[in-house]
Amino acid sequence: MKKLILVVLFVSLFLVAGLAKDRVTVWFAGTTESLMNEVESTMIPEFESENPDIELVVEFIPWGELSTKLTTSFAGGIGPDIFMHGQAAIAGFVENGLIMPIDGFLSSIEDVSDFGSAIDVGIYKGENYFIPVFGSGRLLAYRADFFEEAGLDPEQAPDTWEQLRYFASKTTERVNNQIKVAGLDIPVEGQNLQQVWTSFLIENNGSLFDDEFNPTFNSPEGVEALEFYVDLILKDKVASEYGLTAIGNLAPIAAGTTAITFIDVETMSAAKKYAPDIYDEIKLAFPPERYRRAGFYSFAGFMVSKSTKNLDSTIKALSYLTSKDSIVEINEAIGSLPPRQSASEAEFIASDPVLKKFVEGAKYAFGNPNVPFWVQARDILAKYLERAVKGVMEPKEALDEAAKEIIKLK
Amino acid sequence: MLFRRLNKMQKRIALTAFLFIAPVLIYNIIFKIIPIFISLYLSFTDFSGFGIPNMIGFSNYTDLFGNGEFWNAVLRTMQFSVEVLPLNMLISLLLALLVNQSIKGIGIFRAIYYLPVITPMVAASMIWLWLYDPQIGVLNFILSLFSIPPVNFLRDPNTALHSIVAMRVWRGAGWNMLIYLAGLQGISKNLYEAASIDGARTFQRFTKITLPLLRPVHLYVLIVGLINTLQTFTEVYVMTNGGPLESTTTVGLLIYKTAFDYMKMGYASAMSFILGILIMVLSVTGFVWRKEKGVRA
Repeated sequence: MKKLILVVLFVSLFLVAGLAKDRVTVWFAGTTESLMNEVESTMIPEFESENPDIELVVEFIPWGELSTKLTTSFAGGIGPDIFMHGQAAIAGFVENGLIMPIDGFLSSIEDVSDFGSAIDVGIYKGENYFIPVFGSGRLLAYRADFFEEAGLDPEQAPDTWEQLRYFASKTTERVNNQIKVAGLDIPVEGQNLQQVWTSFLIENNGSLFDDEFNPTFNSPEGVEALEFYVDLILKDKVASEYGLTAIGNLAPIAAGTTAITFIDVETMSAAKKYAPDIYDEIKLAFPPERYRRAGFYSFAGFMVSKSTKNLDSTIKALSYLTSKDSIVEINEAIGSLPPRQSASEAEFIASDPVLKKFVEGAKYAFGNPNVPFWVQARDILAKYLERAVKGVMEPKEALDEAAKEIIKLK
Repeated sequence: MLFRRLNKMQKRIALTAFLFIAPVLIYNIIFKIIPIFISLYLSFTDFSGFGIPNMIGFSNYTDLFGNGEFWNAVLRTMQFSVEVLPLNMLISLLLALLVNQSIKGIGIFRAIYYLPVITPMVAASMIWLWLYDPQIGVLNFILSLFSIPPVNFLRDPNTALHSIVAMRVWRGAGWNMLIYLAGLQGISKNLYEAASIDGARTFQRFTKITLPLLRPVHLYVLIVGLINTLQTFTEVYVMTNGGPLESTTTVGLLIYKTAFDYMKMGYASAMSFILGILIMVLSVTGFVWRKEKGVRA
């Protein structure tokens, strides 16, 4: 009898072990409902039916909590196998030994060449750590009706810095010396200020860092770009020194408090949803040119944890989540820009002139640099840019001080 | 030693008592006491949040002494406390005096004044963000009725911190009102009657009886308030994220950014310890002052 029990126990143990699935945990950044529905109702069942030996566990983490949760979960040894983050985080994660290079697995990913140069954003110190999944960009947007009222051609977007200044001054409306409609809405603090100013920097042939991570933004080109930016606010007074705020769900351009701005895909989608009448008056254009054009584009994508236990299963999941179909499904669900070139021909892009324009604008794209101390460097740069914009420091002094502080992080 | 001297019954009572406090004790040891020591250890390392920490001695502390951003945050945090505490105490006391009346339905007012305390800080911050909005905010609407131009409460470095102070006073007044109310109700009515017979007016009764007898309550409210305000984080994170021009960057916010955004857990731990020492020094000073003044808790 005892022997029989033992045999039954062993058999059931082997059965359980045989039936046990490999568990792959994936963290998506963002909690957009349509994305969560798509992943949970379509993608996970499809993947699990194709791979019955793998259980795909997906969690959706709000962007604001992503860094905190990653830090605490990895410190506690319960981090995900695959997680999504912005490309700017790559260098920091590599330096902290958190993610593994994926060059060895790229052959498992469907048609890698389809990513074009977007796959290169994940390269840090010669190795690739990142597969882009969705992107966002900034283009110039203006209100055609405001242009018409100001006597400007509503079909003609500001094409150069000089035109940007002129068109903004023509469309600025003041009441009692207070700006009622800002000709131009540009950020005056934080990450947005850094991103938009950097587009001016690059348009002026400047750059943020050299190959050895030394700051180069305080070059004469950088100073000139910041002087131009500051003048728009403090001298020409075509932009609010406090910045404009959204009114409810409406961004300033949709709310009618500005005529020109730099806008991203998500804001355009919100304008379409919450102000459909005004949406038709918002026209998109490529960023204005100085020596070149530049628009800030960034990708969020997947990275593979160094501590993943089931590497084969993890790579299968990664391969599925970044396939042509998955990339289209994810981007269609959140209305963002797919990094795969083939996806730009997808129906949801081809039928949407706004998305199409953003896809075309990617040719002027620049992103955050892969610098290991980028997040802190970004905050330092933003801090000094704000000082210049608020008139507390001269542009050159602000950039020099920022460079001095950032170089200490190396 | 002491336990051995107890008889069987006393031992049983002591053990039962220990069992009752055991859950809280174990919770505090695991989630509060041990993390303090781990954090102290981390403050002497270069721990990034991942991997193995390397000992670097006092480097984090010596670096901090020359870190202007940190000392700016310390100053801002102190300013925040100095502005919040007196206002909070004054308004709480006034509210407590109001709701200490024997009027029918006074409980409703007590509940209303207490409501902000149970509102989650994030929700409260969002409400105040809307109140302060330069374009659609209620406060600017009221100002516009008096032809006053809109104020960028949270985007102007001259007003941002004061605006958060106002929000914090609003949220904290209900709690301290309750403490003061308990204090007021502990004062014997005989004292007021005797004073009235001696001809003391309302204001004199307040200054000569109420205020002096509330001294232990003032001290409690002050010290607990100090400990709380020096750790301010949520409201600045939600409402201003430390801006504009770092005018609302508190130590709590800087610690969070350093630990989780910049992945410098060791450095952030050192910041936490300096903040902890600051809180301890101020609290002990308060207690010593209380002892010298002969104030009984």
